[in-house]
Amino acid sequence: MSQIKELNISPVGRVEGDLDVKVVMDGGVVTKAYTQAAMFRGFEQIMAGKDPQSGLIVTPRICGICGGSHLYCASSALDTIWKTQLTPNALLLRAIGQATETIQSIPRWFYAIFATDMANKKFAHHPLYQEVVKRFSAYVGTSFQRGVVASGRPVEVYALFGGQWPHSSYMVPGGVMCAPTLKDITRAVAIMNQFRNDWLETIWLGCSIERYLRIQSWEDLMEWVEENESQKNSDLGLFIRASLEFGLDKFGQGVGKFIAYGTYLHKDLYNRPTVEGRQRAVISPGGFYDGKNFHAMDHLKIQEHVSHAWYQDVAAAHPWNEPLPTPLESQTMHNTDWGGKYSWSKAPRFDGYAAEAGPLSRVIMAGNPDNLDHQIKDPLFLDIMQELGPSVFTRSLARVHEAPRLYNQIMEWLSQVDLDGEFYIKPTEQDGKGWGATEAARGALAHWVEIEDGVIKNYQVMAPTTWNVGPNDDQGNAGPIEAALEGIEVADPHDPVEVGMVARSFDSCLVCTVHAHDAKNGEELARFKL
Amino acid sequence: MANLLWLQGGACSGNTMSFLNAEEPTVPELVVDFGINILWHPSIGLEIGDQVTDLMNDIKAGKTQLDILVFEGSIIQGPNGTGTMNYFAERPMMDWVRELSEVAGFVVAIGDCATWGGIPAVPPNPSESTGLQFHKKAKGGLLGSNYKSKGGLPVINIPGCPAHPDWVTQILVAISTGRIGDVLIDDYHRPKTFFTDFVQTGCPNAISFAQKVDGHFGKRGGCLFYEVGCRGPMTRASCNRILWNRQSSKTRANHPCLGCTEPGFPHHDLKKGSVLKTMKHLGFLPKDVPTGVSKFGYYTRAGFEKVLGGLERVTGTMQEHFETSK
Repeated sequence: MSQIKELNISPVGRVEGDLDVKVVMDGGVVTKAYTQAAMFRGFEQIMAGKDPQSGLIVTPRICGICGGSHLYCASSALDTIWKTQLTPNALLLRAIGQATETIQSIPRWFYAIFATDMANKKFAHHPLYQEVVKRFSAYVGTSFQRGVVASGRPVEVYALFGGQWPHSSYMVPGGVMCAPTLKDITRAVAIMNQFRNDWLETIWLGCSIERYLRIQSWEDLMEWVEENESQKNSDLGLFIRASLEFGLDKFGQGVGKFIAYGTYLHKDLYNRPTVEGRQRAVISPGGFYDGKNFHAMDHLKIQEHVSHAWYQDVAAAHPWNEPLPTPLESQTMHNTDWGGKYSWSKAPRFDGYAAEAGPLSRVIMAGNPDNLDHQIKDPLFLDIMQELGPSVFTRSLARVHEAPRLYNQIMEWLSQVDLDGEFYIKPTEQDGKGWGATEAARGALAHWVEIEDGVIKNYQVMAPTTWNVGPNDDQGNAGPIEAALEGIEVADPHDPVEVGMVARSFDSCLVCTVHAHDAKNGEELARFKL
Repeated sequence: MANLLWLQGGACSGNTMSFLNAEEPTVPELVVDFGINILWHPSIGLEIGDQVTDLMNDIKAGKTQLDILVFEGSIIQGPNGTGTMNYFAERPMMDWVRELSEVAGFVVAIGDCATWGGIPAVPPNPSESTGLQFHKKAKGGLLGSNYKSKGGLPVINIPGCPAHPDWVTQILVAISTGRIGDVLIDDYHRPKTFFTDFVQTGCPNAISFAQKVDGHFGKRGGCLFYEVGCRGPMTRASCNRILWNRQSSKTRANHPCLGCTEPGFPHHDLKKGSVLKTMKHLGFLPKDVPTGVSKFGYYTRAGFEKVLGGLERVTGTMQEHFETSK
């Protein structure tokens, strides 16, 4: 007999912040899920009425994991308002900052956040389990230690130009603060080279970056795994084989729609920043993919819904037109009204649709046949979406797939910095509305800013986690993680690792969700103790 | 061997990210070689849901010993003192912290939010954030000015936005190796070993400061104190002695020090004209002067240097200390 039960999981953990999840189950299968972000800090209220440059200091500190990404957005938003000029050096050094933060996050997320779950006893009956435990167990796993240490290397490059990571404010409207010298560039090249030798090619790929980047399809990837022992037994090889053996490709589908703003503004294509000119200037392309067709990224099609968030009700609105949120009383999970307001996260929608943000969105956009010459062209994930569809595995593979290309891009951009060129052109402050966006490691991030009378009138931050962890919208449609949890089987309600794996495959970062909290169900159902 | 529990309140996880950059020792070494047993950590702990709740209840009941409680992020007291803007394991986080502090051997606040409220506590402080034992410069915070942990110390404050990983790991190693007696703390409960010198100590532009040579963004050389608000002369921290990410520091990368290890960061509460700009009287006298110097003394000496340096430049005296190169 199927029996409906509900599971309140608080905290989920390893999602960078406070995520609570409620799942309603029927015979061990999740039929409905609610995500609840459980913390409110009110950064938008803090910045209202303050110095126009406050976002450069405050927003990197919304999220210590994506601080460089917030800085990229904050400086870009002011660039569009103050109508700055950006030199090629400024654009290169910002791109290097964004890219080093993102590549840092790949081993750190994989080993510290994600792969430890693959060592969960749930998978103990599989043949590859012993090897997974040996390498990926928390702290003691042979690769865990190397991967966590290696993850610190790329942000050493960030520190050469930004002074420190996390929490630098070196990107400013008009350029960057630093004026690097020869030794900064040569040292950066050497650090990246060590990162490649110590981890990326040796432990992670088991082959050269060039060999890996020849993979164009799912079939190519499977051939790559079996090509030799080195690739088969690399951490990536093991991850792919174990994921398929453990069935990680079988759950966690999501909403099947994807959003990316794109990032890495090209050094010669965005010297006069405008909101309208942004999408053509990015190297990693943006867009909206509805599962069949690509659509251009138009930020004016984005709205936030608050009907299920703990804010005073307002009509769904574009961030430029949203009032500062007024927080309402939140609840514990137990007391939450799950049909009403249940999270501190708002629900963003593109053209009315919930959409998944993140590396999978980015690598799908890379397959758009209309991408411009300077943009990434990579058909692999459109093929994987055909062959496997979205899943915990697909999403995680997309994440790690970016590392080799990012490495090459960082090296190329370092080689292009002109030590005789300018790094900063002092702008003139003025009022207006602006938009700054990027791709944080975990997806589409943007700031919408309005300056009036020389102070901040409105500052709206929409993080990738807002896209992914957001609650139901005004029409009752689920957010991406909520949708991805529906249909999963929870084998052991005392250790619902499947729920954690789905959440962690999105690499949700709750500290980014400036807003988030709890849920309720009309009738009292059985409640598991976790 | 020391049991450590790490919790986050109104946090950005920046201190955790900084901690994961640690080098001597690395985080895995801290666990494997120095016997720091991490009972749970929000970013790397394996337990979820009621497993975490049970752990905390066991600690409260004395079934599990808690040697070190590390707290990152502000204590959220809103709305109206209830703390319900930050539920954790079905209760306001501030209630958990208050109870766990009663049984912890040592309590370590990491980062500005946990020490004195940080950015979330900037007016209007929508989440009613405060620090563990300070609110900005005032003693008090959640635990009150008289609080001492079982180990006999008040909350050990390791400020910074974020804290440098060494500041954290060295204190943890000191506790686990029996050297806690060597940890002296200052009036703001900061370990003196890291927070006695100023950020200016070791800054490559110190001579430009002394001789009043201005720097600016995108420019090599010169001091950032005069135009873009560098707080190196009034901020105690070892940023230029123990470098960041083994490579650099803000001022070495031509980034003004923001004063983030001093209570009150962000200084002047982000008011117009205070961000990445030097606030001035009469358009030329810095409002904030180096710590331990009178305004009158500073203005007089600085004026003398400025005038003399200008004269030297006019008369063609070589100023080789201020040459720069790519």
